[in-house]
Amino acid sequence: MPVFKTSLLRRRNALENLLVTAAILLVTTCIAFLYWFATEHSANTALFYVTALVAVARYTTGYLPGILASLVGVVCVNYFFTYPAFTLDFTLAGYPVTFLAMLLISVAVTTVTSHMKEQAQALSRHEKLLAEAEKEKMKANLLRAISHDLRTPLTGIIGASSSYLENGRLLTDTEKDALIRNISEDAQWLLHMVENLLSITRIQNDTSTVTRTLEPVEEVVAEAVERLRSRYPGAHIQVAIPEEFLMIPMDAILIEQVILNLLENAIIHAKSTRPIRFCVTCDAHSVTFTVRDYGEGIPKERLGTIFDAVPSSPVSSIDGHKGMGIGLSICKTIILAHQGTIEAHNTEEGAEFSFCLPREENPHATETNGSDY
Amino acid sequence: MPQKLTVLIIEDERNICDFISTSLTSQDYRVLTAYTGKAGLSLIASQGPDIVLLDLGLPDLDGLELIRQVRSWSAVPILVISARTGERDKVAALDLGADDYVTKPFGSSELMARIRTAIRHSHRLNGADGVQQPFCYDGLTIDFDRRQVTLHGEPIHLTQIEYKIVVYLAENSGRVVTYDAIISHVWGPYASTDNNRILRVNMANIRRKLEENPAEPRYILTEIGVGYRMREG
Repeated sequence: MPVFKTSLLRRRNALENLLVTAAILLVTTCIAFLYWFATEHSANTALFYVTALVAVARYTTGYLPGILASLVGVVCVNYFFTYPAFTLDFTLAGYPVTFLAMLLISVAVTTVTSHMKEQAQALSRHEKLLAEAEKEKMKANLLRAISHDLRTPLTGIIGASSSYLENGRLLTDTEKDALIRNISEDAQWLLHMVENLLSITRIQNDTSTVTRTLEPVEEVVAEAVERLRSRYPGAHIQVAIPEEFLMIPMDAILIEQVILNLLENAIIHAKSTRPIRFCVTCDAHSVTFTVRDYGEGIPKERLGTIFDAVPSSPVSSIDGHKGMGIGLSICKTIILAHQGTIEAHNTEEGAEFSFCLPREENPHATETNGSDY
Repeated sequence: MPQKLTVLIIEDERNICDFISTSLTSQDYRVLTAYTGKAGLSLIASQGPDIVLLDLGLPDLDGLELIRQVRSWSAVPILVISARTGERDKVAALDLGADDYVTKPFGSSELMARIRTAIRHSHRLNGADGVQQPFCYDGLTIDFDRRQVTLHGEPIHLTQIEYKIVVYLAENSGRVVTYDAIISHVWGPYASTDNNRILRVNMANIRRKLEENPAEPRYILTEIGVGYRMREG
């Protein structure tokens, strides 16, 4: 099968070469005729054909088209443009020299261009390899970070459950409750992690885009806050949304995930002293979601890379148990897939994360509204 | 002593099955389990359970297909167990006649509440006593006979459409109602359901009249991509 395929490919290639050569020669002959009619000189026609040879060498592969072209070129010059016109006269003085010169030019140019093509190919192959290696490296880093993040709570779950099973009779009820509560907490955290990972699968891999439908901002916000409250019943959050009814194109599940990640981040990591503020503001072109906490802020050295997939040394995760893990980098991936922007900075009293989504720009976007359901 | 209610669990994951069955048994339900769709179908036919818990991802039979088959001859309440990101499956299941769904993972208290709601609604349908008790929840009262909605004693002025939506949700309180179901109930069966913007706008107006903060609704909850759910009255 592969042999057949290559021979087919070669045949197609040869046909293509032939067609290109014929086309270039035809065009050259036309131009030469025009020139001839216009100036009644035929001395320069050979030069047109030399130019044609260069073009043939550039746009075809292999030596054959070039040799063919030089042959045809010499015959054409002889037949059309050399006195007596429209006759073939091979006895003309210098005829072999013209042919030889054109042949040499053709071979030389073909050699140079094919060499160039090879080099370009090698270069692009090299670049592809490099990009591939970079991708693999990122994937490996991500996997390492994920497995680390998954192993930590799993260790807790396995440890707590085995100590319950093995020493159950020796434990008091309070101790048992504490073990089970730890298992439940770790499992919750695992779930959160897996939901984050699953959410990326909604982003189309090839185009890095998401299926967007018009969704009311207030409903997405409300559901995210509701889910956060059910997960952290004691959490203090103040939510403010614009009075105006806003619908913007988005994948609601993903945006909800982003909001949830940012709020959770503020609750767990910021050590906020006052209720977290979550507000939505809008202008003519975009809607901005801001989560502001009143805690210790983001360490300066992490500020620049806080949305990047992996901390510089993934194994020695400074976050330790239940780190933010890959949550923030997933936020960034999701927001970028929505053609939005996300940023983090420190305020005087804590940290502030905000992301911005474009508002519906063309009225045609409404056509997709609801088709998802 | 009333007869025990029978719950049929159709779920291929034994761990999940065990956990549900344990918590249901402790709540005084009689529990039947089926690990495949086919076994589930024959148990529905032979045992006549009061409610069916159905996982959509079964090894032998598509869960949606199972709902379709059951609905052709039985009105038993079906509670679907589904993954969070499977909005399409949820909507498809509800449109095929499932009563409600719970999202994996769920706690036992949430599951119990959903089961009670589904059973209550099916009894109300069977009972058909004609007189509707006013809906009351946390200060919100809907008097169906007098067509009046009050919030902490203050009458709320809703438009005709808004009132229809609120009443429909209240009649199904505790259950999720899909966008399409609301649209065809309020605007008629021939209304275009592929553009639910009009419903969303009406809902936003309702929230601005009923809720203190529309971003933290107390009465009407959103199930993104699926529909709305009014808190149980």
